[in-house]
Amino acid sequence: MTNRIHSIAAKISSQNTEQLKAALAEVAKLSDLSSEEKRELAAALSTSFYRDHAGDEELAQLIDRSESILAAQGAEIAEWMIEQLVEADAESAEHFAGALGQMGAPVVDLLHSWFDTSRNDDYAQINLLLAAGQFTDPAIARVLPEALRCAGSTNKQVKSAAFYCIGRVFARIPPATVGDADRSMLFDTLFAGLSDPSPLVRRHAVRAIGKGVRNNYFTPEQVEKSHNAFRTILGMDHFDWDNAYIVRSEAEYQLHFCQHGLAERQAMPKGKYYQDFSILEKRELCPNTYYFKVNAPLLAKKIQAGQFIIIRPNYDSERMPLSIAGWDREKGYLEIVIMAAGRTSTEATQKNVGDRFQDVVGPLGQRSHVAKYEGACVVLGGGYGTGAVIPTARDLRALGNKVYGVVGARTKDLLILVDELKAVCDEVFVTTNDGSAGIEGFVTHALEQIMAREKVSMALAVGPVPMMMAVAKMTEGKGVETWVSLNAIMVDGTGMCGACRVTVGGKTRFACYHGPDFNAHQVDFNELIKRQRMFVEQEKIAFEAMQR
Amino acid sequence: MAEAGKGLSAKERMQKPRNQMPLHEAGLRILSWEEVPIGYSMEQAQDEAIRCIQCKKPECVPACPVGINIPAFIKLVEQGDVAGAAKKIRETNFLPAACGRVCPQDKQCEAVCVVGKKNDPVGIGNLERFVADYEREHNLNRIPDMPPSTGKRVAVIGSGPAGMTCAYELRSRGHEVTVFEAFHRGGGVMVYGIPRFRLPLEVIDEDLKLLEDMGVEFVYNMIIGKILTIDDLLEKEGFDAVFIGTGAGLPKMLGVPGENLNGIYSANEYLTRIYLMHANEFPQYPTPLYQGKKMAVIGAGNTAMDVLRTGKRLGAEVTCYYRRSHEEAPARTEELEHAEQEFVNFKWLSNPVEFLGDERHFVKAIKCEVMKLSEPDESGRRKPLPTGEYFIDEVDTVVFSLGCDVNPIIPSMTPELRTNKWGVVMVDTTTYHTSKKGVFAGGDVVTGGSTVILAMGQAKEAARHVHEYLMGQFNYELNVPTDPNAPGVQWEGRFAKAKR
Repeated sequence: MTNRIHSIAAKISSQNTEQLKAALAEVAKLSDLSSEEKRELAAALSTSFYRDHAGDEELAQLIDRSESILAAQGAEIAEWMIEQLVEADAESAEHFAGALGQMGAPVVDLLHSWFDTSRNDDYAQINLLLAAGQFTDPAIARVLPEALRCAGSTNKQVKSAAFYCIGRVFARIPPATVGDADRSMLFDTLFAGLSDPSPLVRRHAVRAIGKGVRNNYFTPEQVEKSHNAFRTILGMDHFDWDNAYIVRSEAEYQLHFCQHGLAERQAMPKGKYYQDFSILEKRELCPNTYYFKVNAPLLAKKIQAGQFIIIRPNYDSERMPLSIAGWDREKGYLEIVIMAAGRTSTEATQKNVGDRFQDVVGPLGQRSHVAKYEGACVVLGGGYGTGAVIPTARDLRALGNKVYGVVGARTKDLLILVDELKAVCDEVFVTTNDGSAGIEGFVTHALEQIMAREKVSMALAVGPVPMMMAVAKMTEGKGVETWVSLNAIMVDGTGMCGACRVTVGGKTRFACYHGPDFNAHQVDFNELIKRQRMFVEQEKIAFEAMQR
Repeated sequence: MAEAGKGLSAKERMQKPRNQMPLHEAGLRILSWEEVPIGYSMEQAQDEAIRCIQCKKPECVPACPVGINIPAFIKLVEQGDVAGAAKKIRETNFLPAACGRVCPQDKQCEAVCVVGKKNDPVGIGNLERFVADYEREHNLNRIPDMPPSTGKRVAVIGSGPAGMTCAYELRSRGHEVTVFEAFHRGGGVMVYGIPRFRLPLEVIDEDLKLLEDMGVEFVYNMIIGKILTIDDLLEKEGFDAVFIGTGAGLPKMLGVPGENLNGIYSANEYLTRIYLMHANEFPQYPTPLYQGKKMAVIGAGNTAMDVLRTGKRLGAEVTCYYRRSHEEAPARTEELEHAEQEFVNFKWLSNPVEFLGDERHFVKAIKCEVMKLSEPDESGRRKPLPTGEYFIDEVDTVVFSLGCDVNPIIPSMTPELRTNKWGVVMVDTTTYHTSKKGVFAGGDVVTGGSTVILAMGQAKEAARHVHEYLMGQFNYELNVPTDPNAPGVQWEGRFAKAKR
């Protein structure tokens, strides 16, 4: 074992959280690992999977990071991981499965071959199915025949695992990837599972069918059939309900999707004003943050810099406000940046090219204030907010202003849209908290440098509230007209509900109608921060409910 | 079927007691979202119909904002011809199922019913509801005969009661109608603002479907004023006329300290989260709701009752705070009664002056001033006066139900559209034509906040004039008020006119 791996391995297996943290940070800096080193590193990382993290939020997060780092080592160590996976206990098996899932397409064939070679080992099959359920790459559709084979097993655990895997695939892979005939076969297999003697199997069958319905895998007839079957399970039609509570409770949950599935299909008006909000392009900007190009021709014609939209990824989704990073009026698309943080944003980022968002509505709010200024203008973007400053920067420059852009992030890998911003600014500064790129520190450090260099007349900051607050504080009393775009909690986005109340200059304002841009020096940021935390508990619950 | 009350004299009819609407028991209904009134049975309906004495000059018809021929439909019910009764109602009212449920009959038809002079008035609302439900449950064909297309196109903005009615009226006159809705589903306030236990979703959806079957085009997610302006509609999109039925959607707040604390909602937000976004089914539906155990509702209108009863169903102890007394409460009598039956507490003569929060910025208490009522002034109204006494109640959720101002999106983007200083769109009160040519408006957007039936009545009137406008028969001297202090179209307006 090489020295560098050895010291890291010692730290990881030390049972000390701080050491683990330090070790993971070191791993991120390693480069040019040989195959041998990668395998050794993997072995060390995987020891963290066996640690008891009950009640220790930080440790749990570190373990998840180990999983991602493991996945980043690439297909070279996949074989070794599957060897571990098939033997692993339930807890660590999930991490091996998760890491394999993140590796994606390159390891699908390997996984496939393992299904075949371990055919007689039920436990191995269960864990392999678990792993197959973690993939988000459409290539995983290739293992569906294996899942179908496992669904015919006489072992109820294998059978349930197969249904689990199928349900996961429904939720993660667009239906078009799986052929019509295969989808039909999947439905029949799952449907047969509803009459299995084991309640566990029945429950997983109900759940998988529900996921199929939700993700448009089935025909209207199949949805109706499922709907009726769930009603029967619940005793809504006769008195011979399913005697197992777990099956009934699952059916109750999923029934609701069938009903809506039916209604949704019937109501698909396609008139002159029909916009199909399909995704034309998707790009990962940095982990968990995605760039989307969404078709919305009517909207694209009218939207202005600073305005926002509300999207609902699925028919039952929350209404989520989003700022706009750009548009093309001719081609009729919008450019948006979504960071997967809670349930709805995660649902949105799980959509792929060719999928559709259920609803996109806008343009909402007032356009950004732009004028010709005496001094320079500075637009500052923090994290996912960077996208939102691009259109305004373009407008400012079009009016003949000198425009500086500032992009800030925690670290180099999280910097996004720098090139896009460069295209619309005279000069762009980059800041990172850890100094891994550009100026070390916060966006305010860059702003300070610009202000020291020349007169700044206007600043626009979009990003997390603390960042906007810091900018406001810095420019206060220095004759800089400062705007911030407030991301308050909203429901309708048209001024109807008042959820987005913010105090600006001592008056109650609605961010959706009067804003989203406000004079930074008058905004009560402390209130905004607290109001944004109103649903923290519920958001957690909603997120967990999605993952079940 | 035989006429149930054949041969009975008017006196005998008038002596029969009213068939009270059967209700689910209060203790049970607060555990469910099911509709509270059960509805008449066929027998009850016929028995109630007997009570109508078929006045020669009925008072009830002009007291109905849409002028339903009430005696005629009741006669048909008595004769057992419910399908005929349904047809009769549909001649003038497009949303009978909703109106039978949410109309304030005690302030309209039933208030003037002759039978009510000695006895309880005829249960007109209950009968209307019965007829509409019968029609729906028996799938009777409801699509009216339509004349051939006129080739004229109308844009209807908003798919609530006003928009739906206007669309129905114009479509059945042969015009092409496109309804633009900002939300992702139709129904407007009937969906987002009226609870399911008062108005079930299927009732609204049936009517939306009827419109679709008639060929009305619905376009969702369209914020007129932003994505397309009214000028765009008339000039670029080829519409010949526009009807604005966008309702009143900008909630009023009190303007007292602490009103932006967490856990304080407007009634619109609270009800929208629940009834449009299904937050009561959280986390199946991901839209959250912060629902405390002790809830205060400010105001005592119909919406306040809806919020109170909704809170009760979500397990909270609910209290209504109102600065006047029980007599002045603007809610429908029936709603107040239902709320009282459902163990809602009332604190009359209490005027909130401040909300106190905890360190997490969540509301924890409400501070009220005790009020007293003045002697009636010239207008006969008794004003609430401060007494200088205060009390503090612990609460963890507060909902403001103080009514709405008109949503400013369309007026602000349509400079030619005149509004008064409260943002209410000004119209000519005969034709509902606005200050912009070819643009009509009706419903809460011209009244500043009223009822479903009034919105429908206005939309119906407006539709008649839109039709005239489209057919080139629109010869009126328009009088659209220019005074910014002018009130919106008054609730009593048409009612009073009819009485004269």
